[in-house]
Amino acid sequence: MKGKFISVAVAAIFCVALVGSVAAEEINAYMGTSPDNNAKIVQFIKAKTGITVNQSFQSFGEIEARVKAEAPNFNADMIIGCGSSTGFMAKKNGWAVPYVSPAWNGVPDVFLDPQGNWYNIGNFSFVLVSNKDRLARAGLTMPKSWKDLLDPKWKGEIVMPSPLSSGTANMMRFSFLALYGDAEGWKFLEALDKNIHHYTRSGNAPTDLVGRGEFILGITSDENVKKRVDDGYPLVWSIPIEGTGYDGTFVLILKGTKKLETCKKIIDLLGTPEFSAVMAEIGYMTPRPAENKLYGKTLPKYIKLDLDKAADDKPKNNDIWKAKLRSTFE
Amino acid sequence: MAPAELSLKLKAGSGNRVKDFLNANLVNILAALLFFLLALFLLYPIIAVLVKSIRGPSGFTLEYYRTFFAKNYYYRSLFNTLLLGAINTVVCLVIGFCLAYMTTRGPYPLRKPLKVISLVPLIAPPYLFALSLIILFGRNGLVTRMFDLHWQLYGFAGVVISQTLAFIPLAYMMLENTLMSLNPNLEESAYDMGASEATILRTITIPLMAPGLLKAALLIFVMTIAEFGNAAILAGRTPFLAPDTYTMITGESDFNMGSVLSVVLIAPCIIIFFVHNYLLEGKKFTTIGGKPVASEPRKITPVIKVPLIIVTTAATGAILICFAVVLAASFYKILGVTDKFILANYLDFTSNQAIANSIRVSFIAAAIGAVIGVLLAYVIVRGKFFGRSFIEMASLSGFALPGTVLGIGYLLAFSAEPLKLTGGIMILALNCVFRFLAVGVEAGISKLHQINIEIEEASADLGASFLTTFYRIVLPIMFPAFIAGFIYTFMTAIVSLSAVVFLVSPGFQLAAVKIFDAAVYGEIGIASATTIKLILIVMLCLAVLNYVTKKTRLGSGLKQPVA
Repeated sequence: MKGKFISVAVAAIFCVALVGSVAAEEINAYMGTSPDNNAKIVQFIKAKTGITVNQSFQSFGEIEARVKAEAPNFNADMIIGCGSSTGFMAKKNGWAVPYVSPAWNGVPDVFLDPQGNWYNIGNFSFVLVSNKDRLARAGLTMPKSWKDLLDPKWKGEIVMPSPLSSGTANMMRFSFLALYGDAEGWKFLEALDKNIHHYTRSGNAPTDLVGRGEFILGITSDENVKKRVDDGYPLVWSIPIEGTGYDGTFVLILKGTKKLETCKKIIDLLGTPEFSAVMAEIGYMTPRPAENKLYGKTLPKYIKLDLDKAADDKPKNNDIWKAKLRSTFE
Repeated sequence: MAPAELSLKLKAGSGNRVKDFLNANLVNILAALLFFLLALFLLYPIIAVLVKSIRGPSGFTLEYYRTFFAKNYYYRSLFNTLLLGAINTVVCLVIGFCLAYMTTRGPYPLRKPLKVISLVPLIAPPYLFALSLIILFGRNGLVTRMFDLHWQLYGFAGVVISQTLAFIPLAYMMLENTLMSLNPNLEESAYDMGASEATILRTITIPLMAPGLLKAALLIFVMTIAEFGNAAILAGRTPFLAPDTYTMITGESDFNMGSVLSVVLIAPCIIIFFVHNYLLEGKKFTTIGGKPVASEPRKITPVIKVPLIIVTTAATGAILICFAVVLAASFYKILGVTDKFILANYLDFTSNQAIANSIRVSFIAAAIGAVIGVLLAYVIVRGKFFGRSFIEMASLSGFALPGTVLGIGYLLAFSAEPLKLTGGIMILALNCVFRFLAVGVEAGISKLHQINIEIEEASADLGASFLTTFYRIVLPIMFPAFIAGFIYTFMTAIVSLSAVVFLVSPGFQLAAVKIFDAAVYGEIGIASATTIKLILIVMLCLAVLNYVTKKTRLGSGLKQPVA
């Protein structure tokens, strides 16, 4: 009797384990936009094509690490949302399946690879956010220039993401290095470090920490700012006079996928004006013209960037970052 | 006629020979099989981590270790981690002991509620406390604002407080078990003869508890230094090894340095494991009378009573407040920012799949783990073969293995053909099986020590085959150990983050990881609601399990998840 109970239990468990892998059209994807936005994209794909996208939330930096570690046996069929550095790396190493999608005809070159190794579904930037209430209580005003952040009055009141885990932070770093030049840029980052309370894991985390009033200022990804303001956080945001940087949100098919046709359908869908409208609604600068809900009609001022160089410099800059900014802690 | 008869006889003979061989050697065959499993799923991943830490792109090198010991940063990280582990272990043991003492020796009406409050956090993710602390005591937290305080939650202190709260339940569970299995007669006789409560504690209770205390200390130390959720949320700029390892692997994909950090994390655990084994050598106090017994409440002297009451009230109060905060947060859009009561967090169904996956993984892990645990215990106690003590050591080493190590080990060992398991659900389950194996094995060993081998021999002498004996005699005796292993693995697997966080993949997301992501990301409402859902579902599962075991009248083991 007792032994039977065990065997029945074990058998039942295996049955449970086996069910649930029912075949429908579905793919696994690494998706690096915020959990909310990932869900929006997944819902859009499901509604338009019926394809189920299984995804796990990771930051851009984590997706790049994951892809590097897994190559060439990837555990996902696609990446929907990674940084340009990951896209370039995948193209260089042959990790992407090239597919020239007819649905992307007429999109400017900066949004796609001519060989079809990657597509860019929207550029995002970083902005300065502040907590209205805390700002007023402290009797301070929103900084006008990035250099204003170096003022000692902000000491311990600024948060920004860590470039070791966040692609957004990597974008901030290469943008500041491009703005000020390498030598001056590192000096700026080191001086800024004195005022930074700590570096967060995700590029969007400062938006929430500042929104909750834990800190007065945050340098953060712009992708979530509009939603958080709508949610009711007392947030104000701005782009200092020097401008901001940008990075793409790249999409690519990973080599070894057994669902190439499904992946192609998704790429096609992402090239439509309808999808651009979804992304612009969130606040992205999209491949197809659409009204941007965060910036409106006036485009932000951009720092001049070389994304290829930024991708190449990333490992080197990580080492410098660790050497310069980690040794200084208390 | 004759040849046919002969061949028939031969057949029967050879059949018997196979049977005899099986009967004589089944333990050994089983042992070989189990050894193979242990080697593949426990030793191989650890070796993979060790190898990775000394093997660069151009051959073997100690460069990575040199980097570790040359950099002040890592040194600080190690120091903080060990200090955190030490403080946590001591505080958790003290609080756990007070709680356990109250629920086993204290007044009856208090026992049940105290027990429930102390155990509930066991099925909540440990980093839940970091969330509650931010909401209450963060720089803009409710309490901080109310009293206009200026303290620094982010940093060492915050991590220590949240980790302590998170591991009180484990300390309580293990110490309560030890106290329950102490025969109260000794203490009662001492009391009747006029010994004071303090004397009884000092000379009887605590010395008798020594093995249990040591084991609890080891487990808590290992689990706190490896669990990185609280540190990742609250550490600010203070470095700790576990979150650093995590960033090293998931952010930078630097497997060499990540492996070095893991090995450094193992070292203190292994040392403590051996010290623990050495101290316990020859000090196994077997439970007299076998069955756990609750003591009659006694009059406790104020000297003992007052501190006991202060500690238990403070601890249960803190746990209750943290849970209340999580419960409240789950009903608000953003607790403390826009206080609008909503149900949307519960209606967010994206987390449901993750909860379903968690339950599935934990269930598979618990079933496999309990079976393997019972078999291992049998082989260890009854087997007489070379390497028996090695198997025992290996299967109990799970106590001393930080989760991050087995997480990275599995990633290194099982991501390429022919052993490719990553990207699936089995890697998650197997990881949990072998991490939490020790409890089931130990429960099994202690059960087997209670029965005399003569019963099995008698059964064999009466002509029962090995399988029959095992099935009819050994299994029923070991069923409580099976249940203990099952429940422990199930509960620990469902909330554990430190290893599986490296192994989840799209489509196989787990609730613990999902909640952690939501928390780190700032979706406190969603994180809280998911936590509450998870707790309710796990409680339901445990209730069903309890009911099933009771129904089959086998439930005596339920009360002792850790022997």
